[in-house]
Amino acid sequence: MKMKININARNRAHHFEATERERILYSGLSQGVALPYECGSGTCGTCKARLVYGDVTDNWPEAPGRKFLKTSDEYLLCQCTARSDAGFEVESFVQTMEGNTYIPASTTGRIHVTKRLTSDVMFVRIEVDHALKFDAGQFMMVEVPGVTGFRAWSMVNYQHPAKMLDFVIKKKANGGISQWLFDHERTGTELKLFGPLGRATFYPGLAQDLICIAGGSGIAGMMSILAHVEQSAYFSRHTIKVFFGLRTMEDAFFLEELSQCCSNCGTNLIVTIALSDAEVPASAPIAYPNLIFRQGLVHEIARDDMQGHYQNVRAYLAGPPPLIDASIRMLLQGKLSTANICYDKFS
Amino acid sequence: MRKTRVCNLVDIPSNGMKAYELEGNPKILVVNSGERYYAYQAQCPHQEVCLDEGIYDGETLTCHQHLWQWDITNGHALGLAEAPLQSFPLIVENDVIFVLQPSALEAAELLSGISVDAREKLEQVVRREEYPDGHTLYEVGDPADDIYILESGRVEFFIGRDNQITGAGFVLHKGEIFGWGALLNDHPRRLAKAACLENSVVLRLNGQETLKIFESEPLSGYTVMRKLSTLISRYLTFAS
Repeated sequence: MKMKININARNRAHHFEATERERILYSGLSQGVALPYECGSGTCGTCKARLVYGDVTDNWPEAPGRKFLKTSDEYLLCQCTARSDAGFEVESFVQTMEGNTYIPASTTGRIHVTKRLTSDVMFVRIEVDHALKFDAGQFMMVEVPGVTGFRAWSMVNYQHPAKMLDFVIKKKANGGISQWLFDHERTGTELKLFGPLGRATFYPGLAQDLICIAGGSGIAGMMSILAHVEQSAYFSRHTIKVFFGLRTMEDAFFLEELSQCCSNCGTNLIVTIALSDAEVPASAPIAYPNLIFRQGLVHEIARDDMQGHYQNVRAYLAGPPPLIDASIRMLLQGKLSTANICYDKFS
Repeated sequence: MRKTRVCNLVDIPSNGMKAYELEGNPKILVVNSGERYYAYQAQCPHQEVCLDEGIYDGETLTCHQHLWQWDITNGHALGLAEAPLQSFPLIVENDVIFVLQPSALEAAELLSGISVDAREKLEQVVRREEYPDGHTLYEVGDPADDIYILESGRVEFFIGRDNQITGAGFVLHKGEIFGWGALLNDHPRRLAKAACLENSVVLRLNGQETLKIFESEPLSGYTVMRKLSTLISRYLTFAS
């Protein structure tokens, strides 16, 4: 059954339909209504809305993002589904999506292959039923059988359109998905997906130099950006600096791929690996002569390297929230304008 | 204007800031920049983040959540920010900082930047009225006589006629202006219905009287009408 959803935003009203199984946020986005969201998975609180009429189910009453709700009639649109026609108020301006954005959609796929990259990082390739188009830097919401709720996974690859989507997943202590993925072989498993989402995107028309600062599995979106940089020969006109933060060499992954990318792109791509918790082993620069290795916090190494070189630069950030915060402060001190600092907040 | 003690001068670090909760008022952010002190709303106008967690370099304040920025000398929006910070007049007496809290008329963004004389003239004609939850302020087709400034409460808008009525957006913030059709030529009728969603206090200014005041204070009138045209074009952009 289709419910009629009415969104009363600050500038105008929007109407769309949702089944009782669809998250209201996802229904709206898939029908071109640019509802506010960031994580899409119950943590950031950005998609909060006030219920004016109708019955809804909150599918995750313990969602961390609920701490942003003040009254009992407020909901996270990413977590609720409609049991009847429903109306909401959203505080912000809500537009319809522009023609150049890829409208997200629900789809299904299956795990094509998994490969453990380190003790706590898994590579997952998903074959989707219908090839989809996305921008480099975007993510998909993924739900696996037996674990309630969608998680945001950033694409590692870039094809246009893509039948295979590559991801890297970090194992988290007590994470439902982590246990599901790391404890058993999951090849062939059917999954639900929704996307693409995310605004920290790269497109060749930018005509700016790039700086990418990533920690751990945050490198995923940067790999997608680098793939697009390589395919579009963006490196022939602009410099790209990647700073990849890891704890130790034992935590390192994708060094082979980054090294290969440096070979393909030439001197305009510079990749620096920052090890926060260990000295750089002498074997590292020998094994990967294309990559630079440093010891220290990745944003500090980026700061020292970038000093005074922020003209016509766009920065992409991904990784744990403390890294993003520290990188933002560092870039603002460098007088980079906020319009050129791109990231999607997941918490 | 109501005068409220906030803190001692020494409480504010040099080129730093601190947020204060004042009784019965929203949080206030007190900021130092060199020799000068400023007071602003402490909550980011975007989402509910306290700006004392933000990044401040002595000139520009940045909210760390979504990088909205403001010029600390005047609260004007910079970069990605879509709204200015509401500022409060601040006075220092015997090394103690006080803020003056303005009326809704003084807080109204559309009327910011007008002369003292123009503001005094508006104060003389403004009517402050209280309406209960559910009260209809005006219906579609009613004469567009007054412009309204929301002092407290919430007002919802509906467009269409009879049983074809749908919601059209809503206002929330103190100082927000609606019913501005009353300031436009050849626009004698309301295009939307406005109703209170909770007990609300509004200030009403008769459109014709207001225009007359602007005629006698042309510079203030020009400032307001320019802001109004920007406001209208913003709604047109979002509605298209």
